[in-house]
Amino acid sequence: MKPDVPNKMIEAMFSAVGIFKTFDRTKALADANLDLLGGEIHGLLGANGAGKSTLSKVISGHVIPDEGQLIYRGQPLVLRSTRDALNNGIAIVMQETSLVPDLTVAENIFLPELGQKGRLSYSSLYKRGEALLATLGQQGELPLDIEVRRLSAAQRQLVEIAKALGVQAKLIIFDEPTASLSPSEVDRLFDIMTRLRDNGNALVFVSHRLEEVFEITDRVTVMREGRTVLASHPTDTLSQSELIRTMVGHDLASIYSRPHALKATSEPIALDVKGLEALPMVRSVSFSVQEGEILGLGGLVGAGRSEAAEAIFGLRPRNAGTISISGKVVDPKKPADAIKAGMGFVAEDRRTQNIVPHLSVKENLLLAHLGAHKGFGLGYASRDKQVASLLESLGLPADRLLDANMLNFSGGMQQKIIIARWLLLEPRVLILDEPTKGVDIGTRSSIYSLLRDIAAKGVAVVVISSDFEELLGLSDRIVVISDGYSVADLPSALLDKEKLTLLAAPRTSMARNTAMLTELAKE
Amino acid sequence: MTQPSQPISADRALLNITRRLEFRMVLLALILAIALSFLSPYFLTKNNLFNVLDQSVVIGIVAVGMTFVILTGGIDLSVGSVAGLTGVILGLAVQHFPLPIAILFAVGGGAGVGLVSGFLIAYFGLASFVVTLGMMAIGRSLAYIFSGQTAISNIPSAMSSLVYTNIGGIPSNVLFLGVLYLLAWGYLTYTKGGRTIYAIGSNKEAARAAGLNVFFYSVLPYVISGALAAVAITFSIAQILSADPLAGNAMELDAIAAVVIGGASLFGGRGSILGTLIGVLIMVMIRNGLNLMGISPFWQGSAIGSIIIIALLVESIVSRRVAR
Repeated sequence: MKPDVPNKMIEAMFSAVGIFKTFDRTKALADANLDLLGGEIHGLLGANGAGKSTLSKVISGHVIPDEGQLIYRGQPLVLRSTRDALNNGIAIVMQETSLVPDLTVAENIFLPELGQKGRLSYSSLYKRGEALLATLGQQGELPLDIEVRRLSAAQRQLVEIAKALGVQAKLIIFDEPTASLSPSEVDRLFDIMTRLRDNGNALVFVSHRLEEVFEITDRVTVMREGRTVLASHPTDTLSQSELIRTMVGHDLASIYSRPHALKATSEPIALDVKGLEALPMVRSVSFSVQEGEILGLGGLVGAGRSEAAEAIFGLRPRNAGTISISGKVVDPKKPADAIKAGMGFVAEDRRTQNIVPHLSVKENLLLAHLGAHKGFGLGYASRDKQVASLLESLGLPADRLLDANMLNFSGGMQQKIIIARWLLLEPRVLILDEPTKGVDIGTRSSIYSLLRDIAAKGVAVVVISSDFEELLGLSDRIVVISDGYSVADLPSALLDKEKLTLLAAPRTSMARNTAMLTELAKE
Repeated sequence: MTQPSQPISADRALLNITRRLEFRMVLLALILAIALSFLSPYFLTKNNLFNVLDQSVVIGIVAVGMTFVILTGGIDLSVGSVAGLTGVILGLAVQHFPLPIAILFAVGGGAGVGLVSGFLIAYFGLASFVVTLGMMAIGRSLAYIFSGQTAISNIPSAMSSLVYTNIGGIPSNVLFLGVLYLLAWGYLTYTKGGRTIYAIGSNKEAARAAGLNVFFYSVLPYVISGALAAVAITFSIAQILSADPLAGNAMELDAIAAVVIGGASLFGGRGSILGTLIGVLIMVMIRNGLNLMGISPFWQGSAIGSIIIIALLVESIVSRRVAR
């Protein structure tokens, strides 16, 4: 696929041509292209995992590509580090900010200069800081002498932007900049971005929020599965449904065309969640799962799915809502309570939330048992038979495995062991957050069949996944969570990728969404 | 990913043993012992070996508690001053109560200090370094106040039987040390609490998510550490028949050094009771050897400090090799 710049008269300020990047066995980028002009805001779009973030990181020097070329102002550019990128005037404003919380605003803005020789003149730092804020139209909005730790998310972002200007950045990437902002803060950000554009900078706007893309960008590039599928298309000639269609990859079927017939189900409800609220991420989430059912929790990254699961499991305080297991109301204040009630939870981040690195595989496997065990000793022996048969059914070699270090094994193997940890306790409800994250394709399918087996034994399985295809293939029913609300609850037979994408989009404006639904229905 | 499974051969078992850190530390201790026996003919005599064990008792007891704390990823800087304070409590209590009751007071006091530190650390999430640093200052100050700034020397001499009784040819204090290490090893290896302590130090989040009682087993090590500091000073007082408010000064540093030489990680999760025992023996042997050679006590700090750093340096280089 060749990048086609519609207006050949204007020389591109920056081009990324044919970028490839593979992490382990996952192809993150396969022929990604991007062209940027000076004085434009360029939307970079794509579904979860399309490669937007990786491409942003390639351009900002965080990730070194396997193949492909970067061209900056007509010259080939090789970036070995973020410092290289900064020196060339390329900066990125990320969600997780790169600020030093205990230094002041002024020190943070000019952090790249602290490494230089010579004495630091604070009065000149303040003067230049004010000047930078003035170019952003934010003079006096931000005290320069207070520590960054005390700032709000929006203010920190402003510091990041000022920092980018402090190194004379001409190309600034905004990675999901509106995710944690209120509507008025978004307006202010867009005002700043417009000013930067009018000063001749090239801005990249990475976002899931289509309304915002239409509001602020001049052109858009759409990525799908690591590839650029729509290059530098003028935004105002696109419709929202065209954009979604490009992101998803095939034509949209009408959302109302399929009958809403649900398969009659009579299994008892295993887990029922009503009006769950755990601020700030979870606002109102309700769903229920039957015994033997696999329920998918879908939505975009940051929609509040993981937080909802953690709140249900007692890892996060809840503000409101009721949780019942098999009809009995439970109120887990800590994971031990949830486990006692019959829940198990495989958290998203294996390394930080699941694996105990200094303990052997066997002890990792028996960790939940240890928590539930009542005696003074270990009670490991009482589980020996169960462990042996469990490992056999998982296809794991017990003799080679049990004494080894957990970290020596592949992601898929680790994940199976963590799932087995909960199976030992025979839970009624098992919640899994991104169970195939970092798992190679071969092991993925065996995890899917494992989850189906678990469900077939009558366990209610809840799977959180950002991979819509996985969600559709695995679950019987899908609940979509968007901006902290559960917005849809449909059998997955009635859903497909584009409908999920549509439902998952943050609904900043209900009216616009209804309009979009009607428009889709007409097609 | 899945290599063909093979029975664990003898070679591999041997490799597993040599890979263990304790093994390398035992080697270091042996090398030290051999070197010292060449440098001083008196070193390898039975009398002196018992001497080394006798000198290991106080620091060895404190190091057990320190191991528990360090395994959770914490540190207890207050053990030295808790020893001083509980020694004074013992010295005062023994004037009015029978000895077992007085010891109970002291041990209870030590456990109480540990409970306060542990609660502050586990409940409020305060840094263990800072909390126990504060406790260290408070403990020492209370020791001076309770004692009236002077050593309490009218300890009943019957107390010395705690140390100078031989059971089966082994001095009672050395025997106590052995039993304590055996119990601690058993607890850390074969009980729910012991494994929970390892799990907390290795990955607290995962331990909590798996339903382990993280709070209780985060506090417990500090209680054990405080109580054992009192036990240690009890043996010390039995030997010198005097309770000095200054006693236990810098004891925390010796205990931490012993635990770290024994292979524990200050980030928690890694370490063992056997390693700590070897660490204690290495420390005491060095000190004993330097005394035998008549080296000025002022040089001993430099010697011990250098050996600690060299041991850890060698260990870090070797373990990086082995890991490859």
